[in-house]
Amino acid sequence: MYDLQISEEQLAIRDTVRDFVANEITPVALLPKRLEPFDPPLPTAEIEKAAELGLRTLSLSEESGGANSDSLTRCIVAEELASGDADIAAVLAETSELAGPLFDRAMTTEQRNLILPKFIENNDFHLAVAPSRMANHSAIGNSYHRHKEKKSDMAFKATAKEGGGWLLNGIGTRVSNASIAKLFVVEAQTESSSSFFLISNDQPGSKIAEVSRDGGWYLGSCGDVLLKDCFVSEESKLNSGSFDLPEHSPIYNAINLGVARAAFEAAVEYAKLRIQGGRPIIEHQAIGEKLAEIAISLEVARGTIWRAAWCLDNPDKAVAYSGDNLPINTVAQVSSSEMLYKAAKDSAECFGAMGVMRDMPMQKYIHQTRMFLHTGNGNADARLKIAELIADFHDG
Amino acid sequence: MDFSLTEEQKSWQKKARKFAEEEIKPISLERDQIVDPGGTIDWDLITKGSKLGFRTAVVAKEQGGHGVDYVTQAIIMSELAKADSAMSKTFSQCWKWSHLIAAACTEEQKERFLRPFLEDHTFVLGSGQTEANSGSDNRMPPPGNLSSGVRLRAEKDGDHWVLNGEKQFIAHGNVAKLFFLLVRTDFSVPFTDGTTLLLVPHDTPGFSRGKVYNKSGWRFYQNGEMIFEDARVPVSNQIGETNRALHKGDGDSSGDMFGDLELAANALGICDSACEKAIHLAQNSNSGGELLKDQQSVRLKIGKMSMLTEALRSYVMRVAWEHDEKIHSTNAGLVMNFSTDTVQEVTELCMDIYDNSGAPMDRGVDKLVRDSFIWSHLAGDSVQRLKVAGRILR
Repeated sequence: MYDLQISEEQLAIRDTVRDFVANEITPVALLPKRLEPFDPPLPTAEIEKAAELGLRTLSLSEESGGANSDSLTRCIVAEELASGDADIAAVLAETSELAGPLFDRAMTTEQRNLILPKFIENNDFHLAVAPSRMANHSAIGNSYHRHKEKKSDMAFKATAKEGGGWLLNGIGTRVSNASIAKLFVVEAQTESSSSFFLISNDQPGSKIAEVSRDGGWYLGSCGDVLLKDCFVSEESKLNSGSFDLPEHSPIYNAINLGVARAAFEAAVEYAKLRIQGGRPIIEHQAIGEKLAEIAISLEVARGTIWRAAWCLDNPDKAVAYSGDNLPINTVAQVSSSEMLYKAAKDSAECFGAMGVMRDMPMQKYIHQTRMFLHTGNGNADARLKIAELIADFHDG
Repeated sequence: MDFSLTEEQKSWQKKARKFAEEEIKPISLERDQIVDPGGTIDWDLITKGSKLGFRTAVVAKEQGGHGVDYVTQAIIMSELAKADSAMSKTFSQCWKWSHLIAAACTEEQKERFLRPFLEDHTFVLGSGQTEANSGSDNRMPPPGNLSSGVRLRAEKDGDHWVLNGEKQFIAHGNVAKLFFLLVRTDFSVPFTDGTTLLLVPHDTPGFSRGKVYNKSGWRFYQNGEMIFEDARVPVSNQIGETNRALHKGDGDSSGDMFGDLELAANALGICDSACEKAIHLAQNSNSGGELLKDQQSVRLKIGKMSMLTEALRSYVMRVAWEHDEKIHSTNAGLVMNFSTDTVQEVTELCMDIYDNSGAPMDRGVDKLVRDSFIWSHLAGDSVQRLKVAGRILR
């Protein structure tokens, strides 16, 4: 049944996270020392507190020690966390998203028995997948409606070692969570195809270089993964075809929604207090109109993002009216990123000069929502992808 | 209708363009990336530009300046802004208040302040309007309201005004050597009838510099807090009549009239930069043997960027021409509003073209977008639009 009414349980989760954010995250997130530097450190203490609430392991089955949360629940959590601090939300979302597919579906029993206890016990145990998800998705660009050349070279190569095991070599750039992950799922090209290998952050032959946040253009944690003759035992290889992730998850758009919502709420609060033109500015049509437009776009974005989440959880029942196989998650990415960027900008406008001051959060909300406009191959390319699907284009 | 430039205008354009390319462009990004907001300014650059006449350009020739007309001003501002918007603004901020000196100062004041301004290459100007209580209200005063408006108190003590209070978000607040300060001289009437304009040198006893504001864009352009504690300003520094500062005289081309054109011309420079960057990328970016410019999606964006930029250019030059012809219209305000929308649209389209998975956004392109967003935060956004609409509907 198509139902976007959030359940009592989801409401309870939302409110718990909301309280946690108000008490533990927002006070830290709004400090000028967190806002002003070009390269602020990741707030690992707050990330760990959130992990204690179970927000690091949401997609993991209950049997494995998680919450077995569906995509919609994870969107709700991501939005709440991001309304406090988007970097915290991004790190937790990445680990949360990977946990279920990895531990419950991809690992063998032996692998799970070995690694899962450590993952559950340590609230600072994060996951990463390398190379980054975009590495395998070339822009459509000039090959729109034409045959697309398959990317010949994968970032990592695995050569079988005599006597057993594998040697991994290569560089994966801009891997999410790389600077704090304890376990990496590395996709490497083998002789015949490709496989996923498990490596730890201190595996000999591996080196992780954090990408500077200054101009780094990312949320959360980001690093380059360098492997040089990194030995991986056969036991650390995942079974072929067992690890699968959607190309784009609406949980990331939910983070964007949290950021834009924080901007909006700040604008509403300020507009009620700030008196110019003889009254609180919220009583002026120009501001009222602006805030109404923002509220409308937040609700519309939420609707599309949640629908995309529902489609992820119900792939057989998802119905798109505008074309077969229309990727609702891509529709959510394009539409929400554009609406939410405008929402953040318009919210900041209510603050006058303060909207561009680095010791205040409005400019940060704008920078972050702007990043969502330019993730992956960009919205122009996403539109081409949708266009090909609408036209029933099949490659090869 | 003659759209051609005079030889003198072309000569200034050439000079500005050369300075922009050779001196501004090479340091633009590096200054933007300096973390300390007070450390982004570069006095060497300002000195070099000043020697070429960019700081003192609008002071009349008879008085030691270059007396350039508005069309030339628009050209210089956009040429410099193409290389760096904030650096261009640093120079033109001095013109804004040079206009006021010419319009409203007495001969004695001009002698006292113009000479050091002309001679010192690091002498930049600032005004002082905005306060915690009064931002938008300074631009669009609510009629008859006693609690609105500037509250920086000025009380007469013999032949001095004694100032107490603060100014916030003042352009050049921490670096200017001379300010045009709006002070409240009568609290018993609405501030429109109780505000006086004073020339306040930076070494006024009782004046101290407060915080230097850390902006997300326009980082080179300094902005600071001003604090006055029993600061003493000679009455001979007053401009115009007491309590009449917000009743502008005819011929006063300072503040909004110049300011609107200034922002639009500066925005034009940013648009030109964005178009240049986008076209360059499109022509050179090679993916699998195919150029970005061969993509229709990219062509449509570049076409739109160019269209908007040329429309802005026409509008800016028209307003500059109107100012030179002393034609009063609502166009100055309208072109400023148009430039706010246009500069953001054009730079954001440029960023779309620069989308490149697996890499962070080009820093120069990001800077253009951050600088552009300042337009919505300069002098109120809604208020700037409502003000013009008010004039149209009068």
